[in-house]
Amino acid sequence: MSDTSPLVVTSKENTPAASQKSKIDAAGTEVVATDGTTESEDSNKPLNYNRITDDELYRHSSQYRFWSFSKEHLREKRDMTNKLAVETIEKDLFDFKALNDLTPEELNALDTKAVPLTTEEELKLIDFYAKKVQVISQHLNLPTEIIATSISFFRKFFLENSVMQFDPKNLVHTTVFLACKAENYFISVDSFAKKAKSTRESILKYEFKLLESLKFTLLIHHPYKPLHGFFLDIQNILHGKVDLNYMGQIYDRTKKKITQALLTDAVYLYTPPQITLAVLLIEDEPLITKYLELKFADNDNDDNGNEVKRKKKNSIDLTVLLSVIKECKDVIENLQTVSTEDARKIAAKNYFCQNPKALIQNLKRKQQQAGSSTEPEQKKQRTE
Amino acid sequence: MSTANNTPIAKVEYTKEKKVGEGTYAVVYLGTKQSTGRQIAVKEIKTSEFKDGLDMSAIREVKYLQEMQHDNVIELIDIFMAYDNLNLVLEFLPTDLEVIIKDKSILFTPADIKSWMLMTLRGVHHCHRNFILHRDLKPNNLLVSPDGIIKVADFGLARAIPAPHENLTSNVVTRWYRAPELLFGARHYTSAIDIWSVGVIFAELMLRIPYLPGQNDVDQMEVTFRALGTPTDKDWPEVSSFNSYNKLQIYPPPSTFELRKRFIAASENALKFMSGMLTMNPVKRWSAIECLESEYFQEMPPPTNPSEIPLPK
Repeated sequence: MSDTSPLVVTSKENTPAASQKSKIDAAGTEVVATDGTTESEDSNKPLNYNRITDDELYRHSSQYRFWSFSKEHLREKRDMTNKLAVETIEKDLFDFKALNDLTPEELNALDTKAVPLTTEEELKLIDFYAKKVQVISQHLNLPTEIIATSISFFRKFFLENSVMQFDPKNLVHTTVFLACKAENYFISVDSFAKKAKSTRESILKYEFKLLESLKFTLLIHHPYKPLHGFFLDIQNILHGKVDLNYMGQIYDRTKKKITQALLTDAVYLYTPPQITLAVLLIEDEPLITKYLELKFADNDNDDNGNEVKRKKKNSIDLTVLLSVIKECKDVIENLQTVSTEDARKIAAKNYFCQNPKALIQNLKRKQQQAGSSTEPEQKKQRTE
Repeated sequence: MSTANNTPIAKVEYTKEKKVGEGTYAVVYLGTKQSTGRQIAVKEIKTSEFKDGLDMSAIREVKYLQEMQHDNVIELIDIFMAYDNLNLVLEFLPTDLEVIIKDKSILFTPADIKSWMLMTLRGVHHCHRNFILHRDLKPNNLLVSPDGIIKVADFGLARAIPAPHENLTSNVVTRWYRAPELLFGARHYTSAIDIWSVGVIFAELMLRIPYLPGQNDVDQMEVTFRALGTPTDKDWPEVSSFNSYNKLQIYPPPSTFELRKRFIAASENALKFMSGMLTMNPVKRWSAIECLESEYFQEMPPPTNPSEIPLPK
């Protein structure tokens, strides 16, 4: 049997001798850990009894292991996804030019209009559709957590895949449907299709591809639970100094803003409670600063001279915490909405770089129209 | 564009050699991981037969197993798609506690039971501290590795520990292992339901027959309360407000004498441990931590080293 007990962090250098007080049995089952603390609250427990922390548990989550990045790493990841798709597109375009006898005018059209998307353009299109995912799932009256999971699934899919490989509009319903199932909110595909005005085939077509792109990780820690925790703790720490009605309003407004924050890269760069604190900071900076100061600053007394309970161990450096939260706040506030007009332009470019033939046909049609102006105007090529 | 889609991902890495079981939504095969020669189990989920896409049980199983790496929770090694079926590659676990309990050729000691309880509770505690409810603990879902380690398995009914006031279905857990709040049809419950199941499993290990074998849902209440006493408002406030409560026969809780007589080999601490897990009021029922810290694990005999516990031939 492994000598790691589920109750405690057991470090490698740990030896039975380090915990004389505990009764070690044959199977090595005793709760032991070595950090030398003597602050044991319960005298029945070994001297170095130390329960695993929530931070340590979080570091074992798939969210931390697979979906947390540095800014640089995130950028590289997107560039790589883009680069692979661009290579395929350019090869196809090259073949198309080689296989077809094209006029200089047509070649020129291809070179200017059938151009693969850049990472930035991809990102704009993804952001545009991620917002759509939010709007559609709100329209379906889904609970907040499922809306959040839908957004998260969608954005993760396009970290792994390019919009030049998968048209984002084909993934919108698929992500919402899978998010419902992953959050234990079952709707049959037929009634979902009816409500979403889609078809079961199109909803299910990419379901496995989505699951695979998510690396089969479906459990997401959203910032809503930390919000509930902070909501209670703020009332505790600032007891008597904060109006309950006001706190209720803060809670509701923050909850809404958190969903907005999930549309940003904050989710890849920061932990859920950090995102919550950043959004709370946006909502009421003085209040949250005051709360954090009272909770983590080095004075052991609050204004009334009461001792503030504070754990010396695992204590958080307020300056570091505030700077992390402010960085996170900047990322969240940096969210720019992509206009429908911009999205349409990028989508058109995306369409033509994958379908050079359509571009040439468009060109020919325009030339014919110019030749016979009496014909009614052709419908514009739909690119959305 | 997306030619990769729907193409079966050829995984010659895993072979399926022998069908070992078929459940409602999956078939289980024994196999080998080619690159290492490691024995594995492949749970094939018949995706194509389900008209709603990926099956909910499979989604739950994948979702929760991906988050848990623990000695006492079954390891999800890999996942792949082949011929429209989702395949979960799990560690190979040759037997389970149900088989062991029923195999009368196997003799096991109180120290062996203690070892199994310790491993089970560690696995369950790991679920709970990750905010996961198992909701189907029973001897059949406590698998045993070739070296005797217990692995909590089958997360097809698992869910996140609910938020306060969140409504849930009480139609969970195999009948004999169902906690009283579930028998009453409670719309909200907690990780305490899993602990109840562990308590019933503990009793079953000592008796070697099912402890509370109700014939149907109504009989389950009768059997449960006859053995452990009908809960009253005194020790479980407002329990009488459950709809099905008025029809109940009121049984007194068993005396220590009765419990000692029923569980002859159990020490006082073992009985205390069992009563902690089989407390009617879910709020007062022991948590996984309380169980793991109980005197039962600290007194003699020490739990047997898992590799020394007898397994079926």
